[in-house]
Amino acid sequence: MTSYPRRLDVLQAVQDLRDRTLAGMPRPLDRLIYLASTRDYNTGLYYHDGLGSRFTSEVACEALASCHFDVFRQLVLCPLEDLVAQLEAYVGSTHANPGEVIATWRKLEPYRVAVPLETDPLSVEFLHSSFRIALAILEARWKSLPSESPASPRPSRAQ
Amino acid sequence: MSQLILFLIVAALLFASLFLLVRRAPQGQGEGEALAEARQALNTLQFGLLPPELVGRIFAKADLDYVTSVGSKQIRRAYCRDRKRIALLWIGEVRRKVVSLRQFHLGAARSFAHINLRTEMRLARDFAALLLVCRFVQVLIYVGGPYAAPQMIGFTMRIAGRVCEISEKSLAFLSPAYGTGAPRRSGTAAP
Repeated sequence: MTSYPRRLDVLQAVQDLRDRTLAGMPRPLDRLIYLASTRDYNTGLYYHDGLGSRFTSEVACEALASCHFDVFRQLVLCPLEDLVAQLEAYVGSTHANPGEVIATWRKLEPYRVAVPLETDPLSVEFLHSSFRIALAILEARWKSLPSESPASPRPSRAQ
Repeated sequence: MSQLILFLIVAALLFASLFLLVRRAPQGQGEGEALAEARQALNTLQFGLLPPELVGRIFAKADLDYVTSVGSKQIRRAYCRDRKRIALLWIGEVRRKVVSLRQFHLGAARSFAHINLRTEMRLARDFAALLLVCRFVQVLIYVGGPYAAPQMIGFTMRIAGRVCEISEKSLAFLSPAYGTGAPRRSGTAAP
């Protein structure tokens, strides 16, 4: 019986997180990156000051983990075409040179550290593969653009 | 003399009962591990490997069509290579978990689950068919790629679903909701 109100707290915290913080992020990819960034790489625990002060840090941690898992699942199940569109929009939102962002993502594979802990290896591998293909498509698309476009300069390094 | 014979018969009966009881009694840690392994295999199958939406994505022809329409031949090749690897990973994992569940049904399940003979026969047939189909699908994917056997994938999922259903009943006593009629989770796994 003691865990019942706690579960309710987590559900309320999840709702709170969705209504306030995540509502401002239209794309699941942005939400995935944001939620992964709230996780401590050493402990695997999530931190969110606002949510932690409204509830408790444990409830906030569980709520963040739950949202992270949901968003991960959403991305795993989205068609490749959607993922490419999301990635393209994300690259555009960084205000950095798109060619460099794509080249860095292909090199560093930051999506590898953005997956939740408690996920099955097959889904993780599947999402990584989709990211690799999406990045290859974006890179090809970027390279095919005319080089004199002033709004989107061509990559300065593509090692 | 007759009293001695009677005494010996009673003693023999008691001894036989004791022997049967010892044989049927759960063997502590070993069976506990088998149960935990079976539960884990079942969870992985139900929530990690067999959800139709995930399998649908792995074998989605729409993704291939999209890559063909926008990507170069090199990207298409990389895509097909990746999807083939993932499809083989999927079918290999399904097979491994099914073998694990079969081990449970051949051993520990007899002590805990009371399955009637008809269900046991059906289960044995399903296990045999499933393992055979998994091997067949593995070969088809290996030779022809991830889109070589869409019907076989559906067939594999149907039999695996049946095996999971019976295994779920055999392992129901491990669930906290056992006997309360509480709804079971379905679809995606909880974090």
